[in-house]
Amino acid sequence: MNGTVVKNQLIFDFASGLLGPAKSLFASTYLQLNSNASKISSTFENMLGENLMDNENIHPKNLKYTDCIKSENGKTTLNTKDPVTRYFGNLNNLNWKQVYKGFKEYTASIDDKDELKLIKMDPGVSVPLHSHGGKEFILVLEGSFCDEYGEYSKGDIQINDQKIKHTPIASRDTGCVCLSITEKDVIFFGKYGSFLNLFTFIKSFFKPK
Amino acid sequence: MEKSHLNSLMSKIQRHRDEMAFSEIFDYFAPKVNAYFIQNSIKFESSEELTQEVLSTVWAKSDLYNSEKSALSTWIFTIARNKKIDFFRKNSKVDFKEEDIREFLYQDREVDLIKENEAKKQIERINDELDEQQKIMIKMNFFENKSHKKIADELEIPLGTVKSRIRHILTKMQEFLT
Repeated sequence: MNGTVVKNQLIFDFASGLLGPAKSLFASTYLQLNSNASKISSTFENMLGENLMDNENIHPKNLKYTDCIKSENGKTTLNTKDPVTRYFGNLNNLNWKQVYKGFKEYTASIDDKDELKLIKMDPGVSVPLHSHGGKEFILVLEGSFCDEYGEYSKGDIQINDQKIKHTPIASRDTGCVCLSITEKDVIFFGKYGSFLNLFTFIKSFFKPK
Repeated sequence: MEKSHLNSLMSKIQRHRDEMAFSEIFDYFAPKVNAYFIQNSIKFESSEELTQEVLSTVWAKSDLYNSEKSALSTWIFTIARNKKIDFFRKNSKVDFKEEDIREFLYQDREVDLIKENEAKKQIERINDELDEQQKIMIKMNFFENKSHKKIADELEIPLGTVKSRIRHILTKMQEFLT
């Protein structure tokens, strides 16, 4: 699927409130780092606001305006820390798991169907050629990396699915830190489940690049 | 109601805690917000409670609204959307350990918010490009959060058509905004 469509789908779903917590955290970080994405989101929220303006009226039965002015909260303070820092704290203090030399990851303990991970690659480190089981979203938080498809810097998203095979290499100067979302693989169950899983497994060898 | 009138009502609330101004905002938005919750498959009793929460927030946190950053309808929409997220999370079977995760994900973003006039021009451009059916699909999908299947059933068109037309809108968005 076209990357632009997937990115805009993510932004639209976030603005609509359709995402689970893992993807929400991912999307809100994306909007913070990428001004173009943030503009698309604002425009879309404005469109949804127009939908509210033009919406039909279904009058509440027992609600009067005076019911809404009883609660007088204090002033609200905005938290200016970015979502990643608020959620993970100082990234240097995390208990990173080394996958191999120069490549570490940390998996967030969010109860969700999607998995949220931080990935850290030392300068010049590469990931061997691989493809992906489910769909994977990678957002660059610091530094940059490149692969056969281009270069990705802070605020850029790369979307990988089963069709993509690539060899990412972290920048030789800075290395990179990324946030990633992995959608869980579809596994078939039931009468023909094992047959379908075998079929998917075999099919994965014949995916066009 | 004119947007300029809505803005002047809001500034009366912000400056003087004007209850009469608030009652006008309430009369205008409460039925629309209540309808939004019902469209999102929330039962009437709960929709009314949520509507109360939304309008209470408008009153209590009026200082957070900035007419230069967004239209009042956009601000109220985001409050209603956040209440909806909280509502579904509280009622879901998934046990969210991160109680406040929504709190900080959907807080007001300070960066790169586009001004209302800028957004207005873009929305006009987008509205010119989209036909009536596409506008209805955007509303059904992203405002009422209906599934593609349900949209297909209600509009009596094939599911594949709904998917391809929504995909078309998503691609177009990028063009409109650059």
